[in-house]
Amino acid sequence: MPLGDFTPLLARPARAGRADGPATVSRRRPRTGGLSSERLSPFVLIAPAVAVIVLFRLWPLLLGVNFSFTGDGARNGSAVGLDNYAELFADPLFLGALRNVGWLVLLLPIAVAIPGMLATFIYLRVPGHRFYRSVYFFPAVLSPVIVGSIFNLLLSFDGPVNSLLELAGLGPIDWLGDSDVAMFTVVGVHIWATFGMSLVVFLSGFATLDPALLDAARSDGASLPQVIRHVIIPGLSRTIQFVFVTTMIGMLTSMFGLIYVMTSGGPGGSTYLPEYYIWIQQGQMNRPAYASAASTVLFLVMLVVGLAQVSFLRRTGRED
Amino acid sequence: MKQRVLWPAAVVAMLALAGCGSATGNEPPSGAASGKLVVWDWKSSDKTATAYVEKAKADFAKKHPGVTVEFVAQPFDQYYTLLGAAIQAGKGPDVMLFNGGGQIRDRVDALVPLDQYLSPDKERLAGWDAFTKDGKVFAAPVTLQGHPIYFNKDLYKKAGLDPQKPATTWSAFTADCAAITKATKATCFSLGNKEGAGIQFFLSALGSGIFSPQEYDDWIAGKRDWNSPHVKQLFQLWKDVETGGLNSKGGNSTTMFTDAFGIFQSGKATNIIGLMSDIGHWKDFNEFLGPENVGVMKSPVIAEGAVPSLPFDGGIGYAVAKWTKDPALAADLVRSLTSTEALTAFYTDAGAVVSDTTVKAAEPAVTSLVADLKTGKPALHVALSSKTIELMGRLSQQILDGSVTVDAALKQLGESDRS
Repeated sequence: MPLGDFTPLLARPARAGRADGPATVSRRRPRTGGLSSERLSPFVLIAPAVAVIVLFRLWPLLLGVNFSFTGDGARNGSAVGLDNYAELFADPLFLGALRNVGWLVLLLPIAVAIPGMLATFIYLRVPGHRFYRSVYFFPAVLSPVIVGSIFNLLLSFDGPVNSLLELAGLGPIDWLGDSDVAMFTVVGVHIWATFGMSLVVFLSGFATLDPALLDAARSDGASLPQVIRHVIIPGLSRTIQFVFVTTMIGMLTSMFGLIYVMTSGGPGGSTYLPEYYIWIQQGQMNRPAYASAASTVLFLVMLVVGLAQVSFLRRTGRED
Repeated sequence: MKQRVLWPAAVVAMLALAGCGSATGNEPPSGAASGKLVVWDWKSSDKTATAYVEKAKADFAKKHPGVTVEFVAQPFDQYYTLLGAAIQAGKGPDVMLFNGGGQIRDRVDALVPLDQYLSPDKERLAGWDAFTKDGKVFAAPVTLQGHPIYFNKDLYKKAGLDPQKPATTWSAFTADCAAITKATKATCFSLGNKEGAGIQFFLSALGSGIFSPQEYDDWIAGKRDWNSPHVKQLFQLWKDVETGGLNSKGGNSTTMFTDAFGIFQSGKATNIIGLMSDIGHWKDFNEFLGPENVGVMKSPVIAEGAVPSLPFDGGIGYAVAKWTKDPALAADLVRSLTSTEALTAFYTDAGAVVSDTTVKAAEPAVTSLVADLKTGKPALHVALSSKTIELMGRLSQQILDGSVTVDAALKQLGESDRS
């Protein structure tokens, strides 16, 4: 419906601008051939945008997928069928990278809960809440390289964190050098570096929360956990969903810098993510076609995660 | 009416095509035809390489006054990614810098064999093996890269040991280390294995102390038996050095470049397996410890029958791309980049041990390094493919943190090396 109203509006000035001849001509013409013109003009108008998307997005994507069925090195350019994919799923390193993606999905609730909790406290005006509000946002303006370097120093084996642990009588932990610990360290730093943005989103969500509900709950004698469980969470369900989606996207797409600076995928490949794997295969191993296959798999993974989130959002949106 | 619809459509199509054209690029191909040669490297922007580049340019300008040379310094951590894209596209620089070993051997399809152009330099320069594949030379060596064991003479003196006579057997070596640790708290080795480089240095520096000369030569020639007792002993030693407390702590989270060098330079470790050129070499250590305190030794004898030698190869070298218009012209530029005059400047300013055997060395540590070049052999890890090296890096970290056994690691490495 909006399109029907919209097109003539745009089509008319274009016609008027070109019509040097008698006005009657342009008035008569729509009666005879106007229907096809009006039908075609929206397509013409969106053609540039479509052309840009097809030429610079979809076509390269298809080229990349097509490229992933060719070989590298001696077999450069020749079709190898599914060989790259077979090798990919036989490579424990790539499987480890996918497993780490699984870890990220599992750790997602924590990454959302932390800014949620802190925003709640700020909203409930704990002492010093103004101070905390600005301090929590600070890390969000730092680039991952800087954050990574800071934590490299803090978490190095003879660094300050381990010195504190030793003072407390706990043995030193090789935060970035132990393959059981490193992935959690990097995710923890990523959460630290990015939760400020989610916190701001939560605070803006709180702005829409009806304070009367809180007052009512309090005068009914609800405890803090009860207020959070029965008033705040239901009132913020939309905001929580939004933060879930943006945090997931952030985790899957912007961890490269931290991994590159903090662990280089190590130790023993325990902090590899698909992105990092693709980069290594293309840049260090000189295997662009194989890297394309890995990219295609990553694309499919992202597609599945994205579609799942969209359907989840639709479902909860309908409940509202 | 049709015309009116078609007209904007034609404009749109033209715009799209114009956009397409500018994106794919119609810039003139680089090459000799335009009187210009483009060189890619990661060195020329360093201050210490300025004189070297100037000398090489001047030498080339004498021979080919009409040709301009442009140096494009790329960031090293992106270098092979960018080069990969250029190779894939089939166009890019005419001359490019390579690390010897796997990095160049994996990419010889994009390079011109240079034997016919470089034959006059064969005698003068050393380190050709690292740039050779299937008997053909693909680059001229600029520096020599090797893995000597540097030691801190000051710590030896503090523990009452004679720094002029470093240990020649493994048991004496570890006894010295124990004495120094007792007296100064310095650990035996400074280890940085975050990038997986620690194991490469270890393998090459101590390999000649375990392998028999025959085993060593077989390994370099490609006949590698990953199940042999000596290979196993070498990787077991990697683990034992860690569990025995000889390494600095947290090796897996310490970068070789440059945290591990920092540990050695600050006197917290007695020995480090370093490099001969670029970084982490005698010149860096001289600055912190003083030239009189930097010692160099070969591997102690670890297994009977071994004859320790200095492991070294061509470090970096210039190659010529297949797509260049005039390979002879580009090869001439490579010859200028390896001229004695240019390499002398590189040695003086950067402290690199250069490939030119006629360049005179002055510093004490370099003098003993250069003396060892005669009996030196190619480094063990340089003979491996970059894929196996990458796997070895990861497995070495897992050996250190105990998540894989030495036997399991060697099995995987053997499979990777054979494929």
